[in-house]
Amino acid sequence: MNQGWTAVATWHWVANDENCGICRMAFDGCCPDCKLPGDDCPLVWGECSHCFHIHCIVKWLNSQQVHQLCPMCRQDWKFKE
Amino acid sequence: MSSPTCSKTIAYEQFLKKIDQYWQAHCRQMIMIRSIFLFLDRTYVLQNSSIMSIWDMGLDLFRAHIVGHHIVQTRTVDGLLQLIERDRNGEAVDRQLLKSLLRMLSDLQIYQDAFERKFLEATDRLYAAEGQRLMEQRDVPEYLLHVEKRLSEESERFLHYLDQSTKKPVINLVEKQLLEQHVSHILQKGLDQLLHENRIADLTRLYTLFSRVRDGLKEQCAAFATYIKNTGKVIVLNIDTDPEKDKDMVQLLLDFKAKIDNILAVCFTSNEKFINAMKESFEHFINVRQNKPAELIAKYVDSKLRAGNKEATEEELERLLDRIMVLFRFIHGKDVFEAFYKKDLAKRLLVGKSASVDAEKSMLSKLKQECGGGFTQKLEGMFKDMELSKDFMLAFKQHMQNIDAPGGIELTVNILTMGYWPPYPPMEVHLPAEMVKLQDIFQKFYLFKHSGRKLQWQPTLGHCVLKAVFSGGNKELQVSLFQTLCLLLFSEGEEFTFDEIKDHTGIEINELRRTLQSLACGKARVLQKLPKGKDVNDGDKFLFNDEFKHKLFRIKINQIQMKETQEENTSTTERVFHDRQYQVDAAIVRIMKTRKTLSHNLLISELYNQLKFPVKPGDLKKRIESLIDRDYMERDKDNPNQYLYVA
Ligand SMILES: [Zn+2]
Ligand SMILES: [Zn+2]
Ligand SMILES: [Zn+2]
Repeated sequence: MNQGWTAVATWHWVANDENCGICRMAFDGCCPDCKLPGDDCPLVWGECSHCFHIHCIVKWLNSQQVHQLCPMCRQDWKFKE
Repeated sequence: MSSPTCSKTIAYEQFLKKIDQYWQAHCRQMIMIRSIFLFLDRTYVLQNSSIMSIWDMGLDLFRAHIVGHHIVQTRTVDGLLQLIERDRNGEAVDRQLLKSLLRMLSDLQIYQDAFERKFLEATDRLYAAEGQRLMEQRDVPEYLLHVEKRLSEESERFLHYLDQSTKKPVINLVEKQLLEQHVSHILQKGLDQLLHENRIADLTRLYTLFSRVRDGLKEQCAAFATYIKNTGKVIVLNIDTDPEKDKDMVQLLLDFKAKIDNILAVCFTSNEKFINAMKESFEHFINVRQNKPAELIAKYVDSKLRAGNKEATEEELERLLDRIMVLFRFIHGKDVFEAFYKKDLAKRLLVGKSASVDAEKSMLSKLKQECGGGFTQKLEGMFKDMELSKDFMLAFKQHMQNIDAPGGIELTVNILTMGYWPPYPPMEVHLPAEMVKLQDIFQKFYLFKHSGRKLQWQPTLGHCVLKAVFSGGNKELQVSLFQTLCLLLFSEGEEFTFDEIKDHTGIEINELRRTLQSLACGKARVLQKLPKGKDVNDGDKFLFNDEFKHKLFRIKINQIQMKETQEENTSTTERVFHDRQYQVDAAIVRIMKTRKTLSHNLLISELYNQLKFPVKPGDLKKRIESLIDRDYMERDKDNPNQYLYVA
């Protein structure tokens, strides 16, 4: 009879692409400014369904003067809840 | 002087005694005369600087008429030399006589001209011959002992009769003829043996004696370094490639290092040049064989940090880790170490096999100190994952109380961040329904808390605690998930064939073979195999072993690790090499990005500065070619030895 079970699971990002469209680094890795993947360099999704390293998209949005557009599809960027 | 004194027939010792008698008598008489003419000596003579004092005149007369006489002087000096030679040969001689006559020569101020030159020549001849002869006849420890004895005898001689002014040249001659002439021969003939046999007293003597002669220590240091390199190479190279011998490599290296350290401290006065030579030699030989020493050091650390290693107290363990770090420092391929260390650390953390968290943390900080934070980031990430998992499990337990979940099994999950941990090959197995349900509940809860993620279960790393009922009593079995899946089948039926178990559990066939072997052919046989035997074959049948007995209540059944480790090792090493390629590429791009244009040679030397692992120039060239193909950089059209960065 099974009483105790210690299981192991690995977690990955569910992204629609292998690489971040801004920095070209793999989503399994981290953005160029970070050293460690995972919680330290999380991904965020836009309502347009594109996703990026949070550090990459924030940098990109800060560099935009007027409209904040998704760098992939040029729609208005809105963080997905 | 009358003729009998000069006759050659009378023995030289007799002759010397006679001379001494004349000298003593002469001195006595001169003192008498001086006393009588004291007034004359003190007044008249003192006022006339051209007139000698009575005493000086007496010496002058004795020198001019007696010792100044050619034959007398030759016989006196030759007699003295013969007497000294006999003294050096260990015979008892009249040292008082020697002292008195040598004193006479000094008083007459002919010690240097008449005696010392000849004496030094005789000394030189004697020790030149003795050095040649004894180097042939005696082994090195005996020879050194003799030299030490000679040096102390010669020093002592100056206390008894020789004039102090001659001490330095005599000692120099002994050192030159007995040591300096034979430095390389002594080292070649005896150093390896002394080091090998750990002859502390002899090595100390060798060092002390060699420190007295020019280049003695320099040559000794070079020979010492050669010995370390040769001995170390034998340990590291393992020419028969006997895996059993590799097992002992790290322990042998630690023992060898401890022995050499002790010799350095006790015999070689912690001479900095020797210590540096030792370090260079260790670094040289440990890297003669690539990868393996790094791998074995990692495994050795694992064996010491794993639970069940009770041979050491915490302080002893700490000291041992420090000693291992010294070896680690010499390793060039530190990334190979990291890969193997990480693999073992993962096992310790996930199977709860770590002996002590403190020791783990201490090792981690040692590595960090040695190699910098970049080296340990991922290892630290692994510890962080373990802690986050623990916190998450608290939340999950709370959640479980609020929902209607299948009872009985208490699930704990370690959630690993990909990228920190070694890669695990994905593997699918069939879990019993209630385990699947539990797993789904957890997965839903996790994904609810962490959106944008997915979970990949790693059945190879799971383990369980089972309660089993045997006729001899209840037992608690600590088993792997694969073992669990096999054992749980037997709560549904009496007997299963190998194929049936394979279909039910979905475990990969080689993995299953090993699993069943551990349950039916190992130390704790909770299953019976038909037919009996050590190996598991396709047609075999398995039954629950109701008769199973064991003195313990809680029993751990180890999963059998077979040749798997060999494959595992190869893939770990391959992964390191793959990683190195990536690091070379990144370094080239980084350098070119800052420099924009760079010649081939400058690029290569910059790369050697930055890369922390051994790499051949040819391999660097290949990576440069590959980056040119991929348009990261290009060759200067006018100068093929010049590269340009492509933005
Ligand atoms: Zn990015
Ligand atoms: Zn980042
Ligand atoms: Zn978009």
